[in-house]
Amino acid sequence: MDLLDFFLRSREAERALEQARARLYRVAYAWCHSAALADDLVQETLAKALRKSSQLRDQKARDAWLFTILANCYRDHFRKTREMDDIDEIEISHETTPESESSRTEIVGLVRATIARLPQAQRQVVTLVDLEGFSYVEVSQILEVPIGTVMSRLCRARNAMKAMLLPAMQQNPATNRAIRRVK
Amino acid sequence: MSKETRFSDEFLNAFVDDQIAAEEKSHAYTEISQDEALNRQVCELRKLRDLVQLAYREPPAPLARTAGQNSHQTRLRFGVAASVLLTLGFVLGNQIRMPATAPSVTAVPAATTQNDEIANRVASPQPVAAVTTPVVARNEILGMTTSKVLIHLARDDADQLSQALDEVESLLKHYRETRQSARVEVVVNGKGLELVRIETSAFAGRIQRLQREYANLTFAACQNTIDRLAREQKIIVRLLPGVITIDSGMAEIMRRHNQGWAYLQV
Repeated sequence: MDLLDFFLRSREAERALEQARARLYRVAYAWCHSAALADDLVQETLAKALRKSSQLRDQKARDAWLFTILANCYRDHFRKTREMDDIDEIEISHETTPESESSRTEIVGLVRATIARLPQAQRQVVTLVDLEGFSYVEVSQILEVPIGTVMSRLCRARNAMKAMLLPAMQQNPATNRAIRRVK
Repeated sequence: MSKETRFSDEFLNAFVDDQIAAEEKSHAYTEISQDEALNRQVCELRKLRDLVQLAYREPPAPLARTAGQNSHQTRLRFGVAASVLLTLGFVLGNQIRMPATAPSVTAVPAATTQNDEIANRVASPQPVAAVTTPVVARNEILGMTTSKVLIHLARDDADQLSQALDEVESLLKHYRETRQSARVEVVVNGKGLELVRIETSAFAGRIQRLQREYANLTFAACQNTIDRLAREQKIIVRLLPGVITIDSGMAEIMRRHNQGWAYLQV
């Protein structure tokens, strides 16, 4: 009976991990803006999570646990490839500015370009809060930084986004387009 | 004390993210709703949050290898431009290091002519060889504290790419040895994209090694080319780790041009 329970729990854990894949990928992509790298990071995260699944005692904490592994994988990736850089200061070399992006009509591109220009540490905080709805406490645990740091990073990130994004959006006719039809 | 100073930015963010206690929130809600400026701040924060959610609601699908495309790639063979690129790399490096004196690069007479042009700050580019043409304001880099060089690859000839990587490495090594601040960006589009595709790159290991060794080196792939491959040839492109995408190779070149980067086309 114990063996059956163990088997069922394992199957359930695997299913849960698989369901988390899309969410992990979305956040990983928001961090690195590379589909290939995001996919690799998610694969690595899930592989590690499967190996360490026995360590997870509280199933309710699974999400935060998974994103902690993802954050570690991401940090390790940059340690391997950019040994001399401080990850907290890395900006993605996405040189399209919000201004230049405003020539596009796609608001999505505009926002992504703005996020890409944020320092890495701020980008991680703002995406974990906004995309995944993690509490500040959870983000602090995932990124292993004090909660005050989470709050100040989030604040700086949003101020920077506001300064870059909102003026560009006012110039972008796509964002001012009125809804003509619903459905 | 004004309400703006009483409600710090951190507090307003926590308010929007529902991170404060219910009692405090209801109190703050009353005050914020009575103050137009605070109201606007809260609205802007909510708008930002919505925009972030919108921007990543549908991220690009994870890319998968496309089988059977690699073996059919026919590699063109060109060998002319890379040697000129080598010379240009050293010319630029020497000029930046010793702007007051003309470097003694004599291997290619045309390049020596370029040195004179650079020294004289002549902006108009002259074609050096049939394939390689420096285009951008070389004179600008002489006065810059950080040297910035964009190398544009639009072909997939293996020899040419190999030599181009040689030149990139030589350039970066030169800057490092002479303790100069520099940034080098390799922009690939068209057939040059083969260089940074997992499925087709013959230099994956070398590119990754260069990226590891030189933090000031960036490989940037043109999203338009990636989209075109998907659309016209049904090829799903996977890029090597660390290779970033840019909206358009040509747009990137123009942006860099406006920012005063030196431009080398292969």
